[in-house]
Amino acid sequence: MSIALIFKGFFAHTLRELLSRHAFRLGALGLLSFAILWEIVSRSGWINPVMLPAPSVIARSSVELAANGELQQHVLNSLWRAFLGFAIGSILGLLLGVAMARLPRLHSLLNPLVQIFRAIPSLAFVPLAIFWFGIGETSKVILIAFGVFFPVWVNTYLGARDTNPLFSRAAASLGARGWRMLVFLILPAALPFIIAGTRIALGSALVLLVASELTGAQFGVGYLIQMSQQVFRVDHMFVGLITLGLLGFLFDYLFVCGLRKFLPWYGAENNHANGTRRMDGLKSGQD
Amino acid sequence: MKFPFLTAKTKDFPGSEFERSNCPRRDNEGQAIVPIRSVGGKRIEAAEGTLHRGSLDAGALIECRELAHVYHTRLGEEIAAVRDITLSIDAGEFVCLLGPSGCGKTTLLNMVAGFLAPSAGKLRLNGDDIRCPAPDRGVVFQDYSLFPWLTVEANIAYGLLMAGVSAKRRKAAATELLELVGLPHIGAQYPFELSGGMKQRVAIARALATDPAVLLMDEPFAALDAMTRESLQRQLLDIWARTRKTVLFVTHNIGEAIFLASRVIVLSARPGRIVEDIRLPENFRPRKRTSPEFNRLYERLAKAIGVEGTE
Ligand SMILES: Nc1ncnc2c1ncn2[C@@H]1O[C@H](COP(=O)(O)OP(=O)(O)OP(=O)(O)O)[C@@H](O)[C@H]1O
Ligand SMILES: [Mg+2]
Repeated sequence: MSIALIFKGFFAHTLRELLSRHAFRLGALGLLSFAILWEIVSRSGWINPVMLPAPSVIARSSVELAANGELQQHVLNSLWRAFLGFAIGSILGLLLGVAMARLPRLHSLLNPLVQIFRAIPSLAFVPLAIFWFGIGETSKVILIAFGVFFPVWVNTYLGARDTNPLFSRAAASLGARGWRMLVFLILPAALPFIIAGTRIALGSALVLLVASELTGAQFGVGYLIQMSQQVFRVDHMFVGLITLGLLGFLFDYLFVCGLRKFLPWYGAENNHANGTRRMDGLKSGQD
Repeated sequence: MKFPFLTAKTKDFPGSEFERSNCPRRDNEGQAIVPIRSVGGKRIEAAEGTLHRGSLDAGALIECRELAHVYHTRLGEEIAAVRDITLSIDAGEFVCLLGPSGCGKTTLLNMVAGFLAPSAGKLRLNGDDIRCPAPDRGVVFQDYSLFPWLTVEANIAYGLLMAGVSAKRRKAAATELLELVGLPHIGAQYPFELSGGMKQRVAIARALATDPAVLLMDEPFAALDAMTRESLQRQLLDIWARTRKTVLFVTHNIGEAIFLASRVIVLSARPGRIVEDIRLPENFRPRKRTSPEFNRLYERLAKAIGVEGTE
């Protein structure tokens, strides 16, 4: 265990760098071979090309969709919804997580309730949300916020509850008290947890986004897929799917880049043995 | 899968730990606010965690009178960690608390720091009861306790930030302190980029930043290799000579105690009581570990602890 820790601590960076160059080339190779194989299968005549359009056909369709501005409109609408829902859900999750960690009474009061809500897969709320809020923007944003809320709440709660007592003692002896303790110690010390929860929430946001758009919208990537099915444009369905894949990948990538840039210490401190233990104990809100 | 929320009991919440105890809040009446230093014109209020009650002994900085601490274990047992500690420490002393493992050194230090409340007896700083942690008692911990999310400079300036000192003055103070601990130019680095010895030096700088009346150190060098430890000991003595801080230093290393201390207090095995209180002659510095005087003291302290010359 100690060897593994030392290894992680000292070599993680160089190893990652070394791997990444190889990994990048291999990844590109994998993608390319997959596309070629797909193209061959699709053109071979074994499968109806309408059901499985070739990548070249999909590429052409996406250029068409982009040329008349339709694709951009779908993407922008989806992004805006996802952003709104994500912002609302994660802010609420953060606030309630911290409040419940700091106020034991509030925790006792709300915990069973939140736990039961958390146990219900958020997709199950789609019909109800539409019934209550219609198929407009409100229901979509609320659904996304709902899905984002739980992972952020759980992890924030854990992080804010289990502050390393060494840190809180150090801060207290340096004069931190009351709100200063919260802002300058509890919150930053919980950051690794909050970050992990937020990253999980990015995935949830995408799931709820599509689910809510499938039920109807004016624009949106999920809607594009749904509508294309009704008019038998399988190629357009694939454009939607690939767009979703790329968006999800891009979000996660940007998230990690942001972390490296703004929180260089994140993941780099393996010197606290209990830090690693606590990271293993992470819980995801919805799976 | 576990459900931590359904089973978790409401355990002690860090931070509120101190608020829930009898710590006075900011600006409470009856609270002795003693300006201890001005950093660039801005005064830092000290003694936030102390309540004025008149003094036992006007001269002493730290005053313990029949001090005791009892732990209550989860199984309902009572463990007397320290007992009957009567002790007064004057300003400027370098006191080493020496004793076998588990004798209550950390417990005593934590009471002085304000992390633990005494079970019995009196504990005063400058004549005021110690009730909770405050920046007039800087603490250096055995484990690395630098805040990993802050740069070295921000770590050092943390206490000044809490006191509301401006950014410019915080930076100036951090630079000055980094020079004092012999680590200029590392202000922009993060703790994970430092070696163990550097971390402890930064921790010392952080504890000194609020200009505390006492520096409390709990085996700060125990995790370091012998060579680093010796150089840090020398540096600590240098800092002590320059700042004339009162230091309360916990160790179970006899050699370290003799090398550093102006006074060595030996605690017995649990429950810790004072079995020896020796003032070392100031003219006996620097203390060569090979000198006969050093060896004589070593023998005496070893006997007091009951380990008979093992190191
Ligand atoms: N939280 C606790 N609950 C119950 N008993 C405790 C607790 N902390 C310490 N003790 C007991 O109190 C005694 C004194 O502990 P303390 O940590 O003060 O010893 P120490 O002198 O610092 O030892 P060391 O040199 O090993 O650090 C120990 O014997 C320990 O069993
Ligand atoms: Mg100890």
